[in-house]
Amino acid sequence: MPAIDRSALLFLVFGVVSLWLGAFFGLLGAWQQVMPGLFDVIPFVKSRPLHVSLVISWIFMVAVGGVYHYLPLLVGRPMHSPRLVRVHLFLWMILGLAVLGSYMLGRFGGREYWEFPPALGGLIAVSWFLLVYNFFRTAMQGRGPWPAYLWMWATGVVFFLLTFLEAYSWLWPRDDANVVRDLTVQWKAYGALTGSWNMLVYGLALVVMERISGVTEYARSRTAFLLYALGFTNLLFGWAHHIYPVPSAPWLRYLAYGVSMTEWILLARMIRHWRHTLDGAQRHQHVLAAHFLYASEAWVFLNLGLALLISIPAINLFTHGTHITVAHAMGSTIGINTMILFAAIFHTVDRVHGDTGTRVQYVRLGFWLLNGGLVLFWLSLIGAGMIKGWYTLMSDLSFQDIMVMVRPFLMSFAAWGIVLFVGITLLAVHASWALLGPFLRSRPVPVDRSTEAYNR
Amino acid sequence: MSYNMDLYRIDLSRIENMSHGRSTSFQGVHQRAIILVLVGLFAVQTALTWTSSTSVAPGRGSLSTQALIGRQLYQDHNCTACHQLYGLGGYMGPDLTNVTRAQGKGPDYARGIILHGTQLMPAQQVTPAEAGHLVAYLDAWASSGTYPIRSFDLTPWGTYLQMNDDARD
Repeated sequence: MPAIDRSALLFLVFGVVSLWLGAFFGLLGAWQQVMPGLFDVIPFVKSRPLHVSLVISWIFMVAVGGVYHYLPLLVGRPMHSPRLVRVHLFLWMILGLAVLGSYMLGRFGGREYWEFPPALGGLIAVSWFLLVYNFFRTAMQGRGPWPAYLWMWATGVVFFLLTFLEAYSWLWPRDDANVVRDLTVQWKAYGALTGSWNMLVYGLALVVMERISGVTEYARSRTAFLLYALGFTNLLFGWAHHIYPVPSAPWLRYLAYGVSMTEWILLARMIRHWRHTLDGAQRHQHVLAAHFLYASEAWVFLNLGLALLISIPAINLFTHGTHITVAHAMGSTIGINTMILFAAIFHTVDRVHGDTGTRVQYVRLGFWLLNGGLVLFWLSLIGAGMIKGWYTLMSDLSFQDIMVMVRPFLMSFAAWGIVLFVGITLLAVHASWALLGPFLRSRPVPVDRSTEAYNR
Repeated sequence: MSYNMDLYRIDLSRIENMSHGRSTSFQGVHQRAIILVLVGLFAVQTALTWTSSTSVAPGRGSLSTQALIGRQLYQDHNCTACHQLYGLGGYMGPDLTNVTRAQGKGPDYARGIILHGTQLMPAQQVTPAEAGHLVAYLDAWASSGTYPIRSFDLTPWGTYLQMNDDARD
């Protein structure tokens, strides 16, 4: 059986570092919104992209590290090319430094979420191509039909590459360039990119669930494949609710309304089903990972309600362009994705150390600060969005006047951001310390014994 | 413990099934075919979006050479960190979709703010000619439609009538 790959662990460690830095710049940006001019060395125009890119990096690093970590165990063979995994890690290290450097120097040039100079996007595409190649060469060695998580990962890695290239299609000049098509294609690509990395994260959630519970049927069930199919439909068409107010073609908007957010319902159903059938003894062996998965379940329900509401066009009229969209993004990236990614990390920590391997009480404190802070942070954003949306549409007040009314909610958002940051810091310190343990103590990384019983 | 036993039984039956003729290469072909179908669906959707995704009249929202330079300047200065277009972008400053055509504002107003800043927004380090390119870019947006939509008729099924056409002039 393959040993745990050190490179995969380093992906997780650098992912955790990205999260901590991303949370720091997010906190700075939140306070700069209520105290303009705060810490002018890194103004908001820099802190925002730093926050966004680092948080995206957290999701990528851990989702991809998770694929590199679990795939050999699931297939029963090592990665096709461990060297390519190391090259991938090296490229992302170089890329990370280049992106941070360009933001700090105020060198932009890209579009929202990828504000760094477009040449660096080429490096992301090359590194992602390595992942696609290595993934398929490894996954194809497995025997038997693929469970849903392998399909999710396969779709995620392929479509991320395709839609990432599409997100840069603005670089190719067109004679009939038009702002509406430009914006529509941009959000099509972004929606599909998000759908692609969600495929990686949800696939990871299924793997961790399967390995905690020992129940392999779910990932091969009709529900799991229905979830996969709906996730793919969403990847194709679910993005258009972001552009309801844009004068895009009506078919796009109606289709998006129809597709809506159905995948969340199925995910919630699957997680609930899994929880009820979890074996108590096995759950207690992975108590931290199980807690994070429970939290992601709660956040699926909270965000499901919000997502369904804001995908109704008549409500979207009032919520579009307001902080409610940010609340939805935070609920998804922190509430759902981050909880799943921490579940994968602490499950890996259990495997590396043979037990929880870290100070559980600090992790629990971090868990509660993160979740408690996030609830109030999320509610503050919804409050701010409701005020902004209502007065923007129903009054003649200026933007500045509306922002004065929104300010108390933004103060609350920034204050709860501090609690969130403390929680993330506790989790990040303990997760990275535990993951780095085998490196720091020069101890060999152990072979995964559970794989022997799990042999496919 | 009972789970481990179950797992062992499942694995045995799976291995048994596989030994009866379902080869790895067949699985590989099958999986490649499905991936290709998915990529094909994506290609169709991409083609539709690229060719028929807008409802604006010809010429409106078009990017002139000046506006294209302005688009790059908008990105170089990361204006999207603070500003929105059609409600998409940052939350610190106002939406700029109609700034060059809104009552009480206009191209000169936009140019002045770009060059000299406000109490909250720093002056951008651009030449007057570059400010002109940025204004041309913003004007392309203004010509494409109106945002936010203040005149709307809601329908019982949760949509609004303006979704049907470009009725936002």
